[in-house]
Amino acid sequence: MAEKSLPKINKIDQPFWKGAAEGKLLIQKCRACEKLQFFPRVVCTGCFSCELDWVQAKGEGKVHSFSWVFVPRNPAFKDEVPICYANIILDEGVIFESRIVGTNPQTVKTGAKVRVVFQQTASPEIKLPVFELAG
Amino acid sequence: MRRKRVCFVGYGSTEYSRKSEEPLLSYYAQAIRAALDQTGLKKSDIQGFSVTTQSSPDYSPHVAEQLGLELDWVLNGDYGGAGGVTSVRRAADAIEAGHVDVAVLLGGNSFDKSVFQQRPLEYQRANYVDVYGYGGPNTLMALVQRRHMEQYGTTLDQIGKIAVTQRENARLNPQALLRDPMSLEDYLKSRMISDPIRLFDCVMPCSGAECVVLASEERARSITDKLVYLVTDAERINYQVSNMLPDKTTFGIKVVGDRLFAEVRRDQIDLFELYDDYPIAVLIQIEDLGYCGKGEGGKFVGSHDLSFKGDFPVNTGGGELSVGQAGLAGGFLHVVEALRQLRSEAGPRQVKKAERALVTGIGWLSYGRNLGTTAGLIMERRA
Repeated sequence: MAEKSLPKINKIDQPFWKGAAEGKLLIQKCRACEKLQFFPRVVCTGCFSCELDWVQAKGEGKVHSFSWVFVPRNPAFKDEVPICYANIILDEGVIFESRIVGTNPQTVKTGAKVRVVFQQTASPEIKLPVFELAG
Repeated sequence: MRRKRVCFVGYGSTEYSRKSEEPLLSYYAQAIRAALDQTGLKKSDIQGFSVTTQSSPDYSPHVAEQLGLELDWVLNGDYGGAGGVTSVRRAADAIEAGHVDVAVLLGGNSFDKSVFQQRPLEYQRANYVDVYGYGGPNTLMALVQRRHMEQYGTTLDQIGKIAVTQRENARLNPQALLRDPMSLEDYLKSRMISDPIRLFDCVMPCSGAECVVLASEERARSITDKLVYLVTDAERINYQVSNMLPDKTTFGIKVVGDRLFAEVRRDQIDLFELYDDYPIAVLIQIEDLGYCGKGEGGKFVGSHDLSFKGDFPVNTGGGELSVGQAGLAGGFLHVVEALRQLRSEAGPRQVKKAERALVTGIGWLSYGRNLGTTAGLIMERRA
């Protein structure tokens, strides 16, 4: 029986996952040029500086696009279909891949406002940032 | 840039199979043998060799070792679906630089389970996409399609017309695995995979291989009198990668098209072999190539005949959607079909005027954006 995919946390993105476990959505900010970026990287995609800080995003944004997944790539997710996989534009101006959860995900529309929540995974130390429809 | 002295001199294809577990190496060998038969070249004429792969390091030299090829040039073509076009580019560079006169380029797939295929580490995919239960490329392209439909009013009828017309072309292609008639209604009613992507938006994985042979002009003349020149070629890797608010509905093909059409006019292209992992990808490429404005692809598709006998022939052999996607042969299928057309070897699906073809290749889907690898080339038949 396959297991649900979990991140293989590494040296670079360890702060992100530690933040998520504590209920914080962290993204990278370049100390040199102040560009924000996600997913976590070794260098700034704007100026190639390696001096990257972690800043806490508000955790709010809008749905940019979404897809109802009926056939997940990893069959372990089958018990959750259809899964509302989505691209969220965070208010900070960064695109983020995630999913929409909560009480009424079937009413999701592009442009809908969403707010981050942190979902416990099978691993006690790992929580996934996912989004709920706001308001 | 414009190429001066690089020609396509031959190609080879295998039969495609839905279930075969024949070793991949055997498919490779069959495709190469077909190309050698067609060109009259001997194995010892092969100086350059490329295999498009998503496998381990040194894959190409190891395949060459198995095939007994001693070489002056080798390439591990790690470009996904863009591999057909990008390996042509790399080999053309090697020919123009004088490293080789003849190069054989391969792509293929088999369900052979004895061959362990290790994917390279995909950190961003594993940690930031897979964990949410996504549906693979079907989901990532579904995000692009929904965005296009909502932003520009593109309809399922327009998108479906691409799949339906390609099926009509495939009905005249004996290599195609999917040759049953398909109506727009069949398309619309096909099973939902990752909404709005349906079953008939998806390619069917299969076994098979394709081979392309490239040679210097001087050498080409001694091989064939059907000279097909590589005119110009371009690629864009990681389009918009550092833009944190990317435009999801524009591909790197826009940059590729601008470069290609610096050398050849848009109205000089007779047929289009556009990488078709999904119909929406074909529609967006038509926009990005500048045959209509951004967002007008749906209307364009609706008002043109995309069949092999139409005014805008696209994927004249049925494309990957109807032939089947033999893994990384997918990117080669389009090059080979263009060659068949330009050499007047396409039989009942022959495009009447086939002097110039535009071929694209697109590969993998990057985080939050769209295609990671995009490439294109223009080839031309000269007497």
